[in-house]
Amino acid sequence: MKISIDRETLLKPLQLVSGVVERRQSIPVLANALLKSDKKSFTLTGTDLEIELQGRIALEKISEAGEITVPARKLIDICKTLPEKAQIDLNFDGQKVIVRSGKSRFSLATLPADEFPKTEEFSATLEFKIPATDLRSVIEKTSFAMAQQDVRYYLNGLLFEVSDNQLVAVATDGHRMGYSSIEAKAPGMAQVIVPRKAVLELSRLLADTAGEVDVLFGSNQLQVKTDHYVFTTKLIEGRFPDYSKVIPTGGDKVLIVDRDILKQALNRVAVLANEKHRGVLFELQAGTLRITANNTEQEEAEEELNVNYHGGEMNISFNVTYLFDVINALNAGNMQFTFTNSDSSIRVEQEKSAENNNADVYVIMPMQL
Amino acid sequence: MHQPTLTRENSRKIIHVDMDCFYAAIEIRDNPALTGKPVAVGGSPDKRGVICTCNYAARKFGVHSAMATATAFRHCKDLILLPVDMPKYKQVAKQIHAIFREYTDLVEPLALDEAYLDVTDSNHHAGSATLIAKAIRQQILQEEKLTASAGVAPNKFLAKIASGWKKPNGLFVIKPNEIDNFIKTLPVDNLYGVGKVTAQKLHKMNLKTCADLQKFSLLELTQQFGKLGQNLYEQCRGMDHRNVEPNRVRKSLSVERTFAQDIRNLDDCLNIINELCERLIKRVQESAPNLAIKNQYIKIKFNDFKQTSAEIISQEINLDRYLTLFRDAYLREVKPIRLLGLGVHFQDKKPLKSFLQQSLF
Repeated sequence: MKISIDRETLLKPLQLVSGVVERRQSIPVLANALLKSDKKSFTLTGTDLEIELQGRIALEKISEAGEITVPARKLIDICKTLPEKAQIDLNFDGQKVIVRSGKSRFSLATLPADEFPKTEEFSATLEFKIPATDLRSVIEKTSFAMAQQDVRYYLNGLLFEVSDNQLVAVATDGHRMGYSSIEAKAPGMAQVIVPRKAVLELSRLLADTAGEVDVLFGSNQLQVKTDHYVFTTKLIEGRFPDYSKVIPTGGDKVLIVDRDILKQALNRVAVLANEKHRGVLFELQAGTLRITANNTEQEEAEEELNVNYHGGEMNISFNVTYLFDVINALNAGNMQFTFTNSDSSIRVEQEKSAENNNADVYVIMPMQL
Repeated sequence: MHQPTLTRENSRKIIHVDMDCFYAAIEIRDNPALTGKPVAVGGSPDKRGVICTCNYAARKFGVHSAMATATAFRHCKDLILLPVDMPKYKQVAKQIHAIFREYTDLVEPLALDEAYLDVTDSNHHAGSATLIAKAIRQQILQEEKLTASAGVAPNKFLAKIASGWKKPNGLFVIKPNEIDNFIKTLPVDNLYGVGKVTAQKLHKMNLKTCADLQKFSLLELTQQFGKLGQNLYEQCRGMDHRNVEPNRVRKSLSVERTFAQDIRNLDDCLNIINELCERLIKRVQESAPNLAIKNQYIKIKFNDFKQTSAEIISQEINLDRYLTLFRDAYLREVKPIRLLGLGVHFQDKKPLKSFLQQSLF
């Protein structure tokens, strides 16, 4: 294998791949990136056995086809520290990969390509195109609610659902839930649960992606493709809770409050919230919301806000962290809380208006009073 | 030495009422044939029971509460032992409590048979705490046919000492201007917070009375005794700032079991701890569902009556932690076990609103 490439062209896919490569890998070859060149293209692949990311570069000239693996981290660090626009030559001499640029020369240890884990054959059961920003949006709006290392393993990920030309993303850790949906020209109906790490990696990837991506659902894999990369992840098997049953619809007490005003008040009150359970108390009565918190040192914080509320007196308490997560996922403007009673889950969303018909919904379970 | 006295402090009027041999007195009242005979209420000796209460006739023989019943019979072979009839005693206690409430709302029950009353602002008997105490004792005798002892003083600590001063069936008053003289001769063993261990330590330092203790500065006492030092410093001067708290917060809750036969097998212990833990969870749910747990503790009494305990900070009742505590405590002695107890201490501040995150599904 022998290729010549400029620094910027190589660095971009290399950095994408680096996110997947495990730092403390159990198998040595997982620290390596697979470099592969053929007549038309050059690909770099990294994997942690769950997620695989392949970066593609179209090359005008490839002097010699071939494949080999090299330590990914070291190759990135070398490329990064070379001067901008530097021309880089990669040459596999049968033992080492020699990296040359100007008067710099590096020789990297290699492992044979056939030691690199093979990708499973991917067969798509459903396929659609969607703007990268749309896909990223539904992830960003919901992924904070994913569980972490929960024994209910199917909660340690994000549910993607396709139906009625809509893409829905749902995440929940059993205490709160995020639901976001967006239009997508997607045929058929399907559900997949994408593992937590893959969700975060995909989100990072999409932040730098312009235009549309191809999304492919497989029976036990999900793939997201552009001209520059192929992202593949295994799925979590299992049944995700029926989110439609979790979203409350019967609430009759509606609170409307400006997102930023509420956020600032909560920021202050949270200073004295119990460090362990982070509980804050909402005391609602016509026109006012009183928020209080106290900690084990018996220090107390209190804020009173003028709000739009006519639902009758009610006290309800929350983990303030869950409120912050939702507030940060919503856009500026009015937010709407819908309560049933102190013991029932509440619904939080952007206030509906002519300009805003955002269908994102958040559900938070209160703390017991 | 100058004694710092707070005028507001010494203007309080606290009564401590202590029923005389409460359980035994009730049983004797209900069965006059027992009058004059040594009577005790408690668990039976073949089940390793202990004496809860005994009358003065029994005390003459050296029988006292918390003594193993078997030992009590050795002291007094004619002892009449009666089983514990808690519902009956509770009922009587309720009626006595109602009498207290006629004089003040500030009643802090300590157990079924004793209570503090703050009558500082009471209008009865022209505000005289001494007359109120007399009246209460009189009323208990008339309505319940039971005798009570009472102590009157400007604070809880002295009131409790005073109620014991003329026991049984007595009344003792410590007036603010009598505190200094009274306290000087008071043995240090009578101070609250001073148990066997601290008493020994004090005696070793040749400290017998409060007058001895008064010679030490607050700093010296704190260095010697930690937190307790501050307490001792104030108590030996007759000071006690504690309020009478009608809704006193429970500080701890525990369950225990004395075994009919000593337990030698570790597996049996683990099973018993499991069982006690379940009982404790139930008790906490029933009696203290809103209190925040501060720590878990275990108590072990070995067959030689040596007792040891261990505790660990915890916010919940966790079986594994009890098992760990048990291993730690057991390894100190490694002897057959006579009694096992599990308990929790609660946060001593006012109970937190219990913030318990609930689940969506």
